[in-house]
Amino acid sequence: MLKTLIRRELLDNLMTFRFAAVLLITLLLVVANTVVLIQDYEQRLESYNDSVKRHQQDLDNSKTYSTAYLFIDRSPNPLSIFNVGLDKRLGNYIGIYHGFMPTLWDARMHGTDNPFIAFFSSIDIVFVFEVILSLMGLIFAYDAIAGERERGTLRLVLAQPIGRGQILLAKYISAMACLLVPLILSLLFALLLLTRSIPLSTADFLRIAGIVLTSFAYLSLFYLIGLLISVATRRTGTALMLAMFVWGFLILVYPNLIRATVNPGGDIQARVKIAHNQIQQILDEYERERQKFLENEGIAGETSEFSEALGFYHQADVNPVTLTTYIESISVLSEIRPDFEKYVPVAKRYYNFIGPLTTRTVEKAWRIRKQALDEIYVKQAATDRILLKLSPVGIYDAATQAWAGTDLSGLRDFFSAAQRYRKVKIDYFYAKNAFASREWFVADKGAVDWSTLPTFTFQRSDVGTNANRALPDMFLLLICNLVLFMVIILIFIKSEV
Amino acid sequence: MALLNITWRELYDNLNSLRFALATVLLLALMLTNAVVHLREHPVRMQKYRDAATQSVNTLTSRTDLYDLAQKGPGRLYKKPSPLRFCADGGDSLLPTLTDAASYFWSTNTSKSFWRMTYPSATPNLKNIDPDATQIDWAFVIGYVLSLIALLFTFDAVSGEREQGTLRLMLANPIPRHTVLIGKFLGAFISVNIPFVIAVLMNLLVISTSNAVHLGVDEWGRLGIIVGIALLYLCLFLALGLLVSACVKQSAVSLVILLLIWVSFVIFMPNTLASIASRFSPARSYDAFQEDRRQKRRAVLEAYYTQREKTEDPSKRMLIQSEYVTEDAMQDGRLRQAYLSERIAQVSQAQTITRISPVAIIQHLLEVFAGTGLERHLQFVDNVQLYDREYREFIADTERADPESPHIIGIRDGMSKKKVSPEAIPIFEDTLSLSKDFNAAAMDMLLLTLFVVVLLAGAYLAFVRVEV
Repeated sequence: MLKTLIRRELLDNLMTFRFAAVLLITLLLVVANTVVLIQDYEQRLESYNDSVKRHQQDLDNSKTYSTAYLFIDRSPNPLSIFNVGLDKRLGNYIGIYHGFMPTLWDARMHGTDNPFIAFFSSIDIVFVFEVILSLMGLIFAYDAIAGERERGTLRLVLAQPIGRGQILLAKYISAMACLLVPLILSLLFALLLLTRSIPLSTADFLRIAGIVLTSFAYLSLFYLIGLLISVATRRTGTALMLAMFVWGFLILVYPNLIRATVNPGGDIQARVKIAHNQIQQILDEYERERQKFLENEGIAGETSEFSEALGFYHQADVNPVTLTTYIESISVLSEIRPDFEKYVPVAKRYYNFIGPLTTRTVEKAWRIRKQALDEIYVKQAATDRILLKLSPVGIYDAATQAWAGTDLSGLRDFFSAAQRYRKVKIDYFYAKNAFASREWFVADKGAVDWSTLPTFTFQRSDVGTNANRALPDMFLLLICNLVLFMVIILIFIKSEV
Repeated sequence: MALLNITWRELYDNLNSLRFALATVLLLALMLTNAVVHLREHPVRMQKYRDAATQSVNTLTSRTDLYDLAQKGPGRLYKKPSPLRFCADGGDSLLPTLTDAASYFWSTNTSKSFWRMTYPSATPNLKNIDPDATQIDWAFVIGYVLSLIALLFTFDAVSGEREQGTLRLMLANPIPRHTVLIGKFLGAFISVNIPFVIAVLMNLLVISTSNAVHLGVDEWGRLGIIVGIALLYLCLFLALGLLVSACVKQSAVSLVILLLIWVSFVIFMPNTLASIASRFSPARSYDAFQEDRRQKRRAVLEAYYTQREKTEDPSKRMLIQSEYVTEDAMQDGRLRQAYLSERIAQVSQAQTITRISPVAIIQHLLEVFAGTGLERHLQFVDNVQLYDREYREFIADTERADPESPHIIGIRDGMSKKKVSPEAIPIFEDTLSLSKDFNAAAMDMLLLTLFVVVLLAGAYLAFVRVEV
C-alpha cells in the first residue's frame, strides 16, 4: 500500500510545472556560478604560485641567517568553490621568524589587485543551495496536506486502511526523491566542470559527499517545515503565505538581522590594554636581561663602537592595538672592517645569547596575546555563529564550511602548521649552530646556503577531522528533522479531515 | 467610479489577509533595527571623522612658512560620512575614507620631494572572522524584502480570481478590462504601501528624534527622493506580479514562476554578473603600475641629470632643480590619478552590466542619493582634485604677491620668506551636490521607469487577452 502511495505522489510531483522550473533554474544557477568560481579559483592559484616563487627568491637572496626573509603562503582551498567561508577573507601569507609568532591575526594578503572589486560579494555553491533548496522544499510541501484537504481527496485516502503516519511517510519519501533530482544533477554538472580544470583527491570527493549529505538534511528540514505549515493550516493560500514569509525570514532576514543587532560586547580597549601591559612587562624583562648581558661583556650602549661595528639594528615592541609582538636584533652589514674584527667573538656570544632569549620571550608573549584575542574576537564570532544557528541556514553553512575546511578551525590548522614550521626553522638554526655563527650577522665569508632548510608543506586536515568538525552540526540538522517529523505526525493524527 | 470600487474591494481583501499582517511585522522589525543600528554607529563614525579632519586642518594651519606649505602639501583629506548611510550602506566600509598628500619620497641636502595626492585603498580587515552578513539598510529592505512582498501581494491577483470564478462575475459587469487591471494595481499598491510607509515613518521618527544624527533640509529632500524611487521600484514588482498572474492559469504556478524570477534576478544575478564582468577589462596589477611609475620617474630624473651636467651657472642650476622638483611631483600625481581611474573604471563597468537586475539599479540609486558607495567616492575624489588645484593656485598666488622673492618654486631659497597667515590657507571641504547626483542617477531612473512601463504594458496586454 505504501508503495502505491509513493508511486502516486511521485508521479504527481514529477509531472508538475514547478518540478521542471525548479530543475531548470537550479541547473542554470549552479552551472553558471561554478564556471565563475572555477575562474576565480584559478586566478587565486596563479597568484599563490607567483607569490611562492617570489618568496623563494627572497629567501635565496638572504645572505645572513638573521636577515632571512622567509615567508610561507597559504594555497587556496579547491573546496572553497563549495563554501568559501574564511578562505578568501583571511590573510594568505606570513613571515616565519624566530622573533615573531605567525598567527592568523598577522597574516597578510597577496593577490587582491583591485581592492574595489571586493565591492561585489562572492557567491558559492552552498549559497545557491541555501536559497534554492529551501525554496524548493517549501514549494513542494505547502500544499501536500492542505491541498488534498481542500480538494477532498484526503478524506478519500484516509477511508482506505492506511495509517496516517504512512501517508506522511509516503509524501515525504516521494517528495524527497523528486527534490534530490535537481540537487544531484546540478552537483554532477558542477563536478564535471570542476574535475576538468581542478584535480581533486579522493579525500576531496569524500568531503564533497559530506557536503551533499548535509545539503540533503537541509533540504529535508525545509520540506518538513513546509509540511508542518501544510498540516497546521486549513487552506493552501494561507499555507503558501506562511511558507513564503517563513522562508523570507529564515533565509533573508534573520541571518542579517541577528548580525546587526548583536553589539560587540564588553570593553575591548580595556582588555587589550591589560594584555598590552602584560606583554610590555615581558619585553621589559627581555630588555633587562639583554642589558645585563651587554654590561657583563662591557659593550653596553646602543651608540657604542660595538654597535657600530655590527651595523646594529635592534627593535622589540608590541603594537598597542593588535598586540603583535615583534623582536628583531640584526646586523645590516656587507662586511666587517678589519679593525672591528676583534668584536666578532663577542658578537657571536651576543647573538647566541639573544637568539634563544628572543624565541622564548616571543612565545611567552604569544600565550598572553592568544588569550586576549580569543576572548575578544574568537568568543564574539562563536556567539554570533551560535545565534545564527537558530536558523537552519546557519547550521547548514557551518557544517558545509567544516566539510570544506574553510571554517575557522580549518584555517587555524594552517597557522598551527606555520607555528610548527617556525619551530623547525629554529631547530634548524640550533642544529647548524647558526646563532653562534659568523653567518648570523655578516656574509663576508660566504652566504648562507638555504637548500638544506626543510621546506614548508601544509596538508589539509584529513577527512576524519573534517567529519568530526561537521558532525555536531549535522546531528543538529538531523535532530531538527526528527523532531519536526514527530510534531507533524502528532498534529496530523489529531487533525480533523 | 468602478475603478474606485475595485480598488476599495482589493484593499479590504488585502487588509484582512495574513500576508498584510506578516508584511507589517517584518518591515517594522527591519526598519527599527536599521534605525537603532544607525543611531549606534553613526555618532562613532562622525566623531572619528571630526577628530581626524580637525587634526589634519590644525597641522596645515600651523605651518607659516610658504616653502613648508608648498612642499608638504595639504596633508590628509577625509571623506565626510553621510548621515543617510542607513539608506544605503554602499559597501562604504570597503572604500577608502581619505586621500593623502604625501611628500616623503626623497630628500637631498638642497631640496625635498614635493607633495602629490596619493589614493590609499581601504585595507581589508584581515582579522574579521565573523560570519558574512549583509547590512540591514533601506536598500536591503526595499531591494529584497519589499520586492518579495510585492510579488506575494500580486501573484494571485488575476489567476486567483479566475480559479475562484469571481473574475467571470466581475467582467460580466459593464466595466472595461483596463479599469479592472488598474483597480487591482492600485489596490495592491496601496496595501503594500501601508506597512511600508508605516515602517519608514517609524524609522525616520526614531532617527530624527535622537540627537545623535542631524538631518538638514538637504537630507530630507534626499529622503523624499529615495522614497519616491522605492515606490517606483515597488510598481515594477507589482507590474511583474500582475503580468505573470494574468498569463498563467493557476496561482500556484504563477507564484513558482515569480519566485524563480525573483531569486535569479534579485539574489543571484547582480553578484554573478559582476564577477563575470569584472574580468573583462581588468586594471593593471599594482606591481605593473609601480614598475611603470618607476620607469617614468627615472626618465624625468635622468633628463634632469643631463640638463644639470650642461650648466655651470648656480642660479640656472637652481632653476633646473626647481623644475625637476615640480615635474616629479606633478607627473607622479597624474600617474596615480590615472591608475585610480583605471581601477574605478573596471568596477563601474562591472556595475553597469549588473543593471539588468532591478535590485542593482535600486541599490545604485539609493547609494547615489544617500551619499554613499562608489558614486560618492568619485565625488569625493573630484572634490579632492578641485581642492588640489585650488591649493596649488594659492601657493602660486602667495608666491607672486611677494616682490622680494626670486620666484623659484621648489627650493627653499627660491621661495618667499614671508609668513603666511593661517586664515589665508584654503581648507578642504567635502561637499555633496544634488545636481551631480541627479546626473549620476539619470540613467538608472530612466531604466527603472522603462522597466515599469514595459511590464505594465505587458500586464495590460496579457490581461486584455485573458480568456475567462
